[in-house]
Amino acid sequence: MKEQPDNTITVLMMGNPNVGKSALFNRLTGANAVVSNYPGTTVDYTAGKLIEGHTTYEIIDAPGTYSLEPHDAAEKVAVLLLDERRGDVVMIVLDATKIERGLYLAFEIMEREYPCIIALNMTDVAHDKQIKVNAAGIQHLLGIPVVETTAISGEGVKKLAGAIRKAQVADMDAIRKRLEGSGEDRDETVPCPGCGGCRGCG
Amino acid sequence: MLKTLSTLEFGETGRVTEIRASRHELNCMGLRTGKKLKMITRQPIKGPVVVLIDEVEIAMGLDLAAQVTVNIE
Repeated sequence: MKEQPDNTITVLMMGNPNVGKSALFNRLTGANAVVSNYPGTTVDYTAGKLIEGHTTYEIIDAPGTYSLEPHDAAEKVAVLLLDERRGDVVMIVLDATKIERGLYLAFEIMEREYPCIIALNMTDVAHDKQIKVNAAGIQHLLGIPVVETTAISGEGVKKLAGAIRKAQVADMDAIRKRLEGSGEDRDETVPCPGCGGCRGCG
Repeated sequence: MLKTLSTLEFGETGRVTEIRASRHELNCMGLRTGKKLKMITRQPIKGPVVVLIDEVEIAMGLDLAAQVTVNIE
């Protein structure tokens, strides 16, 4: 039984444990819950509302997981949430200081053809550790929106909320081609589809 | 020189050449063939073994560590 009106879009927040998903969730939904420092405390997922423009989003904070092959109860819940909500947006939250590790799960999700966006959280820590992050480069390579955020200060959160409607299903073949350097010969006569910058044009 | 992760000395660094079993579990944490790692600690009597890869510390049991072959540089 659907309780929400039919124009509500569900956004599932997924990512490794300790990337700041819950802090980001609180920023997006305005909840007043205190973020716990103990990992593994979100086995019962939390849901909240975000109203951006004329759209209402239901945001779900899934338990942190390293991959879609669950190893414990929390990860099982995360995968169940993903499986039962096909077609909705997945917001993949990465720790900007551990991007390579986070990409393992990110690719698993993208390969399952969900519309995705990526939040590169903890950019304040990356800054402190002098880790330079090429968000635009990642966006161009993957073809999905990539937004840098710092959940604890709120930086980038507004931009992230606006990026949800630009979520794309990743084209794995195109990513492979870009990695191999053969790139895309962009046909300049074809107008930009206006997707919001995922082809690196905006 | 090739060594298993369970026999690496404290502070030794090397590159992963082979992972025999449970590859997926280690891969999703960041430990893959070709990655450079540093031994942090190797507790006796069944572990854990803790290694540092790219700013991240990963812990595993001794039996899992024995499946990982590292080339000492």
